[in-house]
Amino acid sequence: MTGLSLDVMLDILPKMLHAAWVTIEICALTIVFSVAMGFLLATVRLLGGRVSSTAVLCFVEFTRGVPQLVQIALIYFALPRLGLFLNEFWTGVTALTFIGAGYAVEIIRGAVQSLDNGQRENAVALGLSERQALFLVLYPQAIRRTLPPLTNELANVVKASALLSVISVNELMHVSHAIIFEEFIVYEVLIELAVLYVVIIGCLVALSRYLEERAKA
Amino acid sequence: MDFGYMIYALPRLLPGLWVTIEVSAISLALALIIGVTLGASRSFMTMRNPLAWPLDGYVWLVRCTPIIVQIYAAYLLLPKAGIRLDAFWVGVIALTFNSVGYQIEIARAAIQSVGKGQLEASLSLGLSQRQAVWLVIMPQALKRMIPGITNEMSHLVKASSVLSVITVLELHKVASNLQIQSFKFLELLALQALLYLPLILGMSRLASYLEHNVFAFEGTRPHTEEVR
Repeated sequence: MTGLSLDVMLDILPKMLHAAWVTIEICALTIVFSVAMGFLLATVRLLGGRVSSTAVLCFVEFTRGVPQLVQIALIYFALPRLGLFLNEFWTGVTALTFIGAGYAVEIIRGAVQSLDNGQRENAVALGLSERQALFLVLYPQAIRRTLPPLTNELANVVKASALLSVISVNELMHVSHAIIFEEFIVYEVLIELAVLYVVIIGCLVALSRYLEERAKA
Repeated sequence: MDFGYMIYALPRLLPGLWVTIEVSAISLALALIIGVTLGASRSFMTMRNPLAWPLDGYVWLVRCTPIIVQIYAAYLLLPKAGIRLDAFWVGVIALTFNSVGYQIEIARAAIQSVGKGQLEASLSLGLSQRQAVWLVIMPQALKRMIPGITNEMSHLVKASSVLSVITVLELHKVASNLQIQSFKFLELLALQALLYLPLILGMSRLASYLEHNVFAFEGTRPHTEEVR
């Protein structure tokens, strides 16, 4: 067993940083898409008829009840069958958006329903339609409450992005895996891998702590 | 969809499902014991205690790295440390390592959410510190831990699918082996969803049953009617 080699660590660092950047790109895109889709589906769930809100409920139960790895494989194999040929990067973003949106829907719906029911009743009594009440009165208040759990969920999305290595997206985990098994450098890679993830996710967790403190005040 | 193939594949997936249940159940049991013990001790520690720092660091590390990294780390580092186990037990160790980190937080949060007044009141009524913790604080805290722990349970089952990368023959690995032979991707993925869903939905049902029936005592509501 040899000790840690600083030279090796510096040697692999540019590759690792490049891969970390891909991870950050994927996560940033996923975060934007899944929050947008979460709001869209939460709106359907809150305003839609019985059929459409049940459909959203089924989607949510599916994304929460099936392992992320299985969902990623499903998207990877199902998209080409549907005639959508995306590269690995965008397949990965689609899969993570699918996973993230399921959680975002429930967080947003939970926040809206945790608001006092009088808010909606007052808005409707003042002559706003249900849709106006939701967009002009309930969502602006609910967004504040969704922020802490949403950032928490986004940290989970970053962790889930490591699973994209199984569909050969060139993100942090995949690149590290390649270095470990092609060049047999174990400790150096694992340490840099852990440090990079801790930095990325640590930032998000710290942000979520901060937002939670502020939401309490 | 080829339903004939699905009927052919289903019995071949069941041993994998059983391994998934086994690996998650063993890890859950181990993690529950270790996590609740450590979390409970952590909640009665101050930051001056020398054990508080490493515990917090451990929780931070577990929560800030993806599970796949932890699984690879266990797979690569255990043999280097001279511990040679088969993939199943490496998987158990990796999942336990992961789950303990989360359960420490669950236990700590539950215990700290029980009001400080409870401890003070019990002490002033003449209970010893140990009696106060075990007879007053813990029953209330356990009740509050149930949702977090059942949540963690379903996370664990889902995380066990990642053990496929270190060749543990659990449900996802068995299914992907079949996929490579038959190229029936959608059929096998649908079957996996069908097998995972009831497992996880069943657990969330169990959670709400435990919450509403077994631990349904009112430990948290102030007994205003007894104040005269």
